[in-house]
Amino acid sequence: MAKVHNWQLGREMDYRFPEVHPDRQFVAVFNINRCIACQTCTFACKSTWTYSRGQELMWWNNVETKPYGGYPHHWDIKLLQLLNDANPGGQTWDASTQSDDAPYGEFKGMTIFEAGAAEGKDSAIGYLPTEEDWTSPNFYEDTAKGNPGVPNEYHPEGAQLPEHNTWFFYLQRICNHCTYPGCVSACPRNAIYKRPEDGIVLIDQERCRGYQKCVEQCPYKKSMYRPNQQVSEKCIGCYPRVEGSDPITDGVPMETRCVATCVGKIRLQGLVDIQDGEWVEAPTNPLYYLVRKEQVALPLYPQFGTEPNVYYIPPRWVPREYLRQLFGPGVDQAIDRYTNPSRELQAVLQLFRSTQKIIFRYEIEEGEEIMDTEVNGRRVQIFNDTIIGFDGNDQEAVRISVEEPFHIRNGEFAGQFQNSI
Amino acid sequence: METLSSSKRLTVIIMAFVFVGAAALTLFDLRLASSQTVTLVAKRSENAIPLDDPSADVWDKGAPIQVPLSGQNTVPPRGGGEGTVTARALHYDGKLYIRMEWSDATKDDSTSMQNEFTDAAAVQFPVEHGESVPAFCMGNPDAPVNIWQWKAAWQTGTDASVLDVQEAYPNIAVDFYPFEDEPEFYPAAASGNIVVRADRTSAADNLLAGSFGTLTAAEDQMVAGMGAWDDGKWRVVFSRDLQVGAEYAQFAEGDSTNVAFAVWNGANAERDGMKSVSQFLTLEVSPEIATGGGGLSGGTIGLFVVVGLVVVAGLATVGSYLLYTRRQTA
Ligand code: SF4
Ligand code: SF4
Ligand code: SF4
Repeated sequence: MAKVHNWQLGREMDYRFPEVHPDRQFVAVFNINRCIACQTCTFACKSTWTYSRGQELMWWNNVETKPYGGYPHHWDIKLLQLLNDANPGGQTWDASTQSDDAPYGEFKGMTIFEAGAAEGKDSAIGYLPTEEDWTSPNFYEDTAKGNPGVPNEYHPEGAQLPEHNTWFFYLQRICNHCTYPGCVSACPRNAIYKRPEDGIVLIDQERCRGYQKCVEQCPYKKSMYRPNQQVSEKCIGCYPRVEGSDPITDGVPMETRCVATCVGKIRLQGLVDIQDGEWVEAPTNPLYYLVRKEQVALPLYPQFGTEPNVYYIPPRWVPREYLRQLFGPGVDQAIDRYTNPSRELQAVLQLFRSTQKIIFRYEIEEGEEIMDTEVNGRRVQIFNDTIIGFDGNDQEAVRISVEEPFHIRNGEFAGQFQNSI
Repeated sequence: METLSSSKRLTVIIMAFVFVGAAALTLFDLRLASSQTVTLVAKRSENAIPLDDPSADVWDKGAPIQVPLSGQNTVPPRGGGEGTVTARALHYDGKLYIRMEWSDATKDDSTSMQNEFTDAAAVQFPVEHGESVPAFCMGNPDAPVNIWQWKAAWQTGTDASVLDVQEAYPNIAVDFYPFEDEPEFYPAAASGNIVVRADRTSAADNLLAGSFGTLTAAEDQMVAGMGAWDDGKWRVVFSRDLQVGAEYAQFAEGDSTNVAFAVWNGANAERDGMKSVSQFLTLEVSPEIATGGGGLSGGTIGLFVVVGLVVVAGLATVGSYLLYTRRQTA
């Protein structure tokens, strides 16, 4: 075991390999607040990559309804249980040590790697989902948390902010292209690798022998076994698009399928530069801004220790205690900042799903104030700023204003439509 | 005549047991692999050796050795456990045949659903036979090993292959597979990964390794392998030409090399390093005609009966000698 630095945990941790970093890292931000669970992302991935024989149970992208849903069933509850068994009551954070380098403070508990070592195992703790676990991927869709102690009934004051008593939300999941992947550390054949150019984690399809140690030890269960190929497969981060080899964007890096097709405009994906193991400070890279500067987007289950690179803007109506378990101690600040967005955040949020090209940097042109009001006792000002996103060649890729352009369609087409019936 | 002293008596008893043991080992040509000198001898068979029947009578002519196995505990993932493989070897018409036989309560021969692991077996030889053998697990970078691995799952489907989806799930309903004929959607096969080769004709692979984690499919797939599970027992036969290209293990009449064995129990989710392994033993390819080395054909029961008889005979010898010496002193 080597010692590596995990900024999400605010400390060093044990990992099988010494610390190595790619030059750039694949990063995505998913805004849970806006997802409508249309599953367009899910099917965009499926129809692109996993539509073939032997991949019937595979959903590299899936959207599950929390708190009950999960694909594979209860994957996260099982992991949390394993961690709690290894370290009963000890999975806590010390948020008092928060700093720019350790935005969530310090994790005092055990990662999957440390819990494995503590139990005398060769590798991380984990489990192999059963055949049934992989079926019915959208089980518990839209199933809300009920009224505790009262079966078959929702809470009478279920839907009052700041925390709903009856609640559910959608969790969008792809491979996290982790900095310290559980799958990479699990593979006895070193058949899984993290690409130096973008940090995308791939299973070498020529070397894999289907041992499924990665399936067992990816805590997010995003490595999957394909029986008729006798090997494991996983989300490939749509690497041909990220490389810019898709003809549509003429050589400039392009967002992944699941991101580019998102109907709810909840997804933004890109690349951040890494130097000496750290995210290079880039306040106008939208991913850097959302994750490291504004800190409205948080990693999913950072306590697992893999340093996942998909970040979530937590749902603002969900009980904080539950959210802290999922996203760590940054939840309260993230929701506060998201519900009272700064002028810059209001503009950056417009970039979600505005172009297929990966946006490497943005500029903001200030516009006039269009609203000055009070929400929940706080003053809210909205400015019609314009944000301009730049692609991999530093060319303008998109220009979009905070106030959505408003078009009034007159009645002439409606009449034509009626006549044609 | 003077009284036989107790030390002399002890000597006689020990000698008697040595005699009994030697008689049993000679009778059955049974060698214990835990001893350094143990040798698996592949004698020349007078009859063809059928690959499709690992229980064929011809194997009665091959002298068995009992090879102790233990869990692989050197590198992760560790696993396996204590066990025994009965190994036999023969050669016929320029080919070497090795049969492994071991107990396994369940037949696990599918990896076509989630969470399934296959029973498997392997034999391992140094690529170049030298003074010292490679590390018994997976070889060394400067002393690679040639591994023949058989997997039950590789002979389960039609044409010696794994089960495809519609065989594993007979009631599956799928509208259509739009990319059925596009190889890039079968990336393991398209990249030439040997575990999924479509033209698989043998349930055994020819592999090379130079240390842990380096197992690689050899360029030439020329090892035949077939297993049969019956009544709690796997019998698996491997076969290959004695002489092949220099990058693989070589065999020749009158020559010796080393061999080690490994067994995986699918029911125990064993795969990769999670296996039961033996030490290296000597493998000798002999020009002698295989005659059965005493014939274990009667099976284990016969073995016990005859061993029992020999032991009784031995004890009777000791007993009558003691009786005789007593009488002398009386
Ligand atoms: S496409 Fe977007 S809105 Fe629809 S389910 Fe996926 S993430 Fe949610
Ligand atoms: S999410 Fe799982 S499969 Fe993806 S990189 Fe992390 S450990 Fe590997
Ligand atoms: S990044 Fe590409 S491969 Fe991965 S889940 Fe999204 S669409 Fe699928």
